[in-house]
Amino acid sequence: MNTLDFPQLDSIEAIEQGFEKFGYICSHEIATAVFLAFKLRKPILVEGPPGVGKTELAKTTSMLLDVPLVRLQCYEGLDESKALYEWKYGKQLLYTQVLKEKLGDLLQGATGLAESVERLHQFGDIFYSEDFLEPRPLLKAMYLEEGSILLIDEVDKSDYEFESLLLEILSDYQVSIPEIGTVKAKTAPMVFLTSNNTRDISDALKRRCLHLYIPFPTTELEERIVRARVPEIEEDLRHQLVEFVHSLRQMDLKKLPAISETIDWARSLLLLHTDQLDEELIRSTLMVLLKFQEDIEAATPEIKSLLD
Amino acid sequence: MNSKLISFINVLRTHDVRISPAETLDAMEVMSIIGYRSRGDLRTGLSQALAKTAEEKATFVQCFDRFFEYELPDAANKEDTADADNDAAEAAQGETDPGQESAEQDGAAGKPALDLAGEMAADSELAAHLDTPLMEMLLNDDRNELSLAIAQAADQVGLAQIQMFTQKGQYTRKILDAMGEEQIRHAVIELERQGSPALNELQTYRDRLRELVRDHVEREYLIQAEGKNKQFMDDILAKTKLNNIEHHYLHRVHDLVRKMAKRLAARHSRRRQIYKRGQLNMAKTIRRGIANDGVMFDVYWKSVKKDRPKILAVCDVSGSVAAYAKFLLMFLYSLYDILPGVRSFAFSSHLGEVSDLFAQHPLEKAIELVNWKYGGATDYGGSLLDFAALAMNDIDSNTTVIILGDARNNNGDAKLEVMQSIYQRAKKVIWLNPESRKMWGTGDSEMNRYMSAVHYAAECSSLQHLERIVDELLRSNR
Repeated sequence: MNTLDFPQLDSIEAIEQGFEKFGYICSHEIATAVFLAFKLRKPILVEGPPGVGKTELAKTTSMLLDVPLVRLQCYEGLDESKALYEWKYGKQLLYTQVLKEKLGDLLQGATGLAESVERLHQFGDIFYSEDFLEPRPLLKAMYLEEGSILLIDEVDKSDYEFESLLLEILSDYQVSIPEIGTVKAKTAPMVFLTSNNTRDISDALKRRCLHLYIPFPTTELEERIVRARVPEIEEDLRHQLVEFVHSLRQMDLKKLPAISETIDWARSLLLLHTDQLDEELIRSTLMVLLKFQEDIEAATPEIKSLLD
Repeated sequence: MNSKLISFINVLRTHDVRISPAETLDAMEVMSIIGYRSRGDLRTGLSQALAKTAEEKATFVQCFDRFFEYELPDAANKEDTADADNDAAEAAQGETDPGQESAEQDGAAGKPALDLAGEMAADSELAAHLDTPLMEMLLNDDRNELSLAIAQAADQVGLAQIQMFTQKGQYTRKILDAMGEEQIRHAVIELERQGSPALNELQTYRDRLRELVRDHVEREYLIQAEGKNKQFMDDILAKTKLNNIEHHYLHRVHDLVRKMAKRLAARHSRRRQIYKRGQLNMAKTIRRGIANDGVMFDVYWKSVKKDRPKILAVCDVSGSVAAYAKFLLMFLYSLYDILPGVRSFAFSSHLGEVSDLFAQHPLEKAIELVNWKYGGATDYGGSLLDFAALAMNDIDSNTTVIILGDARNNNGDAKLEVMQSIYQRAKKVIWLNPESRKMWGTGDSEMNRYMSAVHYAAECSSLQHLERIVDELLRSNR
């Protein structure tokens, strides 16, 4: 297995700066996790509330390193034929037909059954071989020679059985296919797993990963994020809107607004050409931040007090 | 430094952070990559390798700060050396501790320093007593050397084994002895005998040393023993009869119950798909075959999805079982937190559903409300009728009904027929009785009669009982 060396990942500070170039402002913890994952060749399990940039982290890393991103979206019922590999049945059928036609030529001159079988054995068995293998995302990532970022998204949505399937890949970067044998990664991919914590991930999987928890950012960090993503917005307004979102997060809501919502809101405020937050404006744009009617109803009467 | 890391990991384990040997190796690698230069980075890195849930992370941070309080330089000091212990000592040397300065001023200010030095020069015997590395450290006020020496002495006497707070004095003494405090003691006696003015000063030094050692023992006790004691307590609490648990330990029991309920839920909440091998799902197989030119490569077997069991829990909260009810309600509450499908009911003279109360209020409030609303004299007959009216339609072959109560009906009508119809409809009816089996059926207990309409009846008087029974129940319920 090759190991690639990326100078972009040489130090924690370099990672922070590299990410910033691609508009991803990250906390020190995130940079440390990426740094360690690269040095230790270990997958990272990223947890945190939805919308704090878990998937984005993998995408940005792929941009930073300039290697392809292989993404596997997990869902209930996902199995190895969709995640790992599948046989190309159509081609295999054609092959058997071709073989049938050729069989006469091959066995010409053979006398008796025993000799025919003997001759048949001399030909390689390619029915189950890599030629007829259709690689799915996980196997694809193993084949990529220039290295890759493998993103296994929302692993908590998949079944328990699927988790066990991942174990071999995560610890040894290899896949066992019963008919062929073990396929080792040409270059170890850098693996990101994300989870929204809808259920507990098994200990076996956690043990193989570094664990990164991304919480909601601090006001200071979030302001930097908004500045990077929506650079056109006035500093004063940016400060106000981030403060407002933060006070919203203190409330008891069904779904708290995440970074992605803050950015959406900043963009909408920009479209509305505002330079100052006021009660009326917030009320009319609150649906950008809150995604449940009951949340909006709970927050509307509080807007005034939250603004102060 | 690796041994330090391992003992740190041991501490984490006693604080309920589950760490495997493989993760220990990871942690060592993290340490060698990040190094000891920055405390903050090391903490972040180790927490990513060792703590794998949000709660574990919180525990980790707390333990890390306590454990490495004096071991690591602050992030501000960025010195690059290989040897960690020396490094730590050197880096910390730069800092001046305000407390240390004031102590210096109090004890050694001005003239007395001359006194002691003068005495030592004059009295060779005294000088011999005080001519030790320990005394030198104290005289130079070398805090780092001192803490290093204390740590070494602590290792020597096995301070990490400390279990009880009563052992603190003993360990303090042992460490002092190992450091050679004896000689200072002799010198103090000597000076006392002579009535020398240097006595005060030497006593100040001795007291400071004692204070330092005491602090060290105290810290180590907090780190090592707290977690162990907690585990010990948890074990005891799990085995104690519920009505004997003191009110004082309630919050602990709550944690314990939560943990237990979580464990049970993790084990049993999966929806399972059972494949009936042998029965072909023809439609799906043909559909799948179309892509392969009509040849059916993939065969699909019929499968059944098994839903998680529906659970209805009914809890007696009358006076006779009040002490148990508190815990049973606590258990129901935790179960509700984890398996939101559980419906809970409480009764004494009449019965009502309490699921909403559990959903809306924190534990203490919820229990108080339930007791206030449903507490009183027991009437099993009436309550069973209420239960039938409320939930009978919901009871089907996938439902488990758990009844928690002592079946003491104050000689009222038992309404066994209601119980029987529940028994016929439900997949399983389980009765958990806090009384011991010998008491069943005595006096006004209707237990023996109810037992005819129950799949499984068990005595349940401690948390361990409870866990075992519920586990059993959920397993056999599949």
